[in-house]
Amino acid sequence: MHSDHELMVAVSRGDIQAMSELYQRRHRSVFRFFFRLTGRQAVSEDLVHDVFVRMLRYRQTYNAGDSFDAWMYRIARNALADQARKHRLETPAEAHAIETVESDRPDPFDMYAKQQDLALLHRAIRELPDDKRELIVLSRFQGLSYEQIGQIVGAETGTVKVRVFRAMKEMSGIYAGLLREKAL
Amino acid sequence: MMCGWAKEQIAASWMYTSGSGELEPGDQAKLRHHLAECAECAEEMAQLTGMWERLADLPAPEPGLGLQLRWEATLESLGGAPGGKRRTPEAWRFSLAALWPQRPVWQAGIALACLVVGLAVGGRWQGSAKSEIAALREEVANTKEMVALSLLREQSPSERLRGVDYSARMPRIEPEVVTALIRAVNQDTSVNVRLAAIDALSRASGQPQVRRSLEQALDRQESPTVQAALIGYLVETRDQQALGALRQFSKRPDLEATIRERAGRATQQLTEFK
Ligand SMILES: [Zn+2]
Repeated sequence: MHSDHELMVAVSRGDIQAMSELYQRRHRSVFRFFFRLTGRQAVSEDLVHDVFVRMLRYRQTYNAGDSFDAWMYRIARNALADQARKHRLETPAEAHAIETVESDRPDPFDMYAKQQDLALLHRAIRELPDDKRELIVLSRFQGLSYEQIGQIVGAETGTVKVRVFRAMKEMSGIYAGLLREKAL
Repeated sequence: MMCGWAKEQIAASWMYTSGSGELEPGDQAKLRHHLAECAECAEEMAQLTGMWERLADLPAPEPGLGLQLRWEATLESLGGAPGGKRRTPEAWRFSLAALWPQRPVWQAGIALACLVVGLAVGGRWQGSAKSEIAALREEVANTKEMVALSLLREQSPSERLRGVDYSARMPRIEPEVVTALIRAVNQDTSVNVRLAAIDALSRASGQPQVRRSLEQALDRQESPTVQAALIGYLVETRDQQALGALRQFSKRPDLEATIRERAGRATQQLTEFK
């Protein structure tokens, strides 16, 4: 059993079959990363595809000293930033704001409408600013350590911890606000 | 002051729930001590840790099946278009046959994906005859080709980018689209459009005339980013004939040092593939 890192080293040397294996292992988690950030199924799928194509394209820039996760997530963030930029160029800001709230498919979270607490939690994440939402997604859902997150976002480990704490605090505030709103 | 330290430790403690503990034993004791003294931190810890744990209950979304098919189609196109001409022997070291021994299954999958696309665009679908699937696939391809070509002629760079994007999603890349993409690489005013067009053309790298066109394009580029992308492209094709263009390019006096170095490395790599 090879590690992701070993597979990527093989890919960088021209072994495309190793890329197939990496895709099988990682594409779902990359999808969840994008879905939790954008809330949109089709956009997230496009982004996943883009990430793996970029990994192939830039495979020669992969260094044996790199952490595979850090490299992959940096590519993923770039893909998302490019997509957001393209999207902003194409649609007026207001239309964009509405669109990001709506999903291409019925929102899977709707199924949990009965579990209102979860629905509120979900809304609270969605209402966070992008950078804070990203920190929570990376730390809580993607199974990354603070050190790895630091490598991905380009910050000291200690700084990441403080930012994650603040993001959670802000989310908690939003959540409390939503609860009050519901109670009224 | 201690509270700032405590917040870091609280965040570190959350990682235990994700399986990777990040609190030193000494810090753990110190944090406990602080929480016993500081009501504010203790409350934050309780409240936020509870929320952190509840986040685990949010459902994990899954990608659709079409995504996997699209990926397989991309890998396939890297090794040569389905049903296309034989690749040059040195083009790729890996064999697609080894990747997908069950190719008919895959083809059926693509047909199914096309069918879904057909339904999605609002077409009525009845029956399941193979010829109908083929016809539908053809129709989808033609529509996309038309859209791609007209977008590539648009004034705004973002529209042209969409055109390139469209052509990249076409089941196969038609000669007219290839021509339009090569024109974009050579003439488009936007670096982004040129880069995207190079990307899209990687699917057509099995065609010698595409490789030749991009070799020639290298010499015309002023943007280091585009130069780097083209060099990368030429290395990937593993086409020895690109060596001449690369050597000539390396002699250009206006090159950035990193690009010159990259071109040198590419020449080396291509020589080694011999
Ligand atoms: Zn305190």
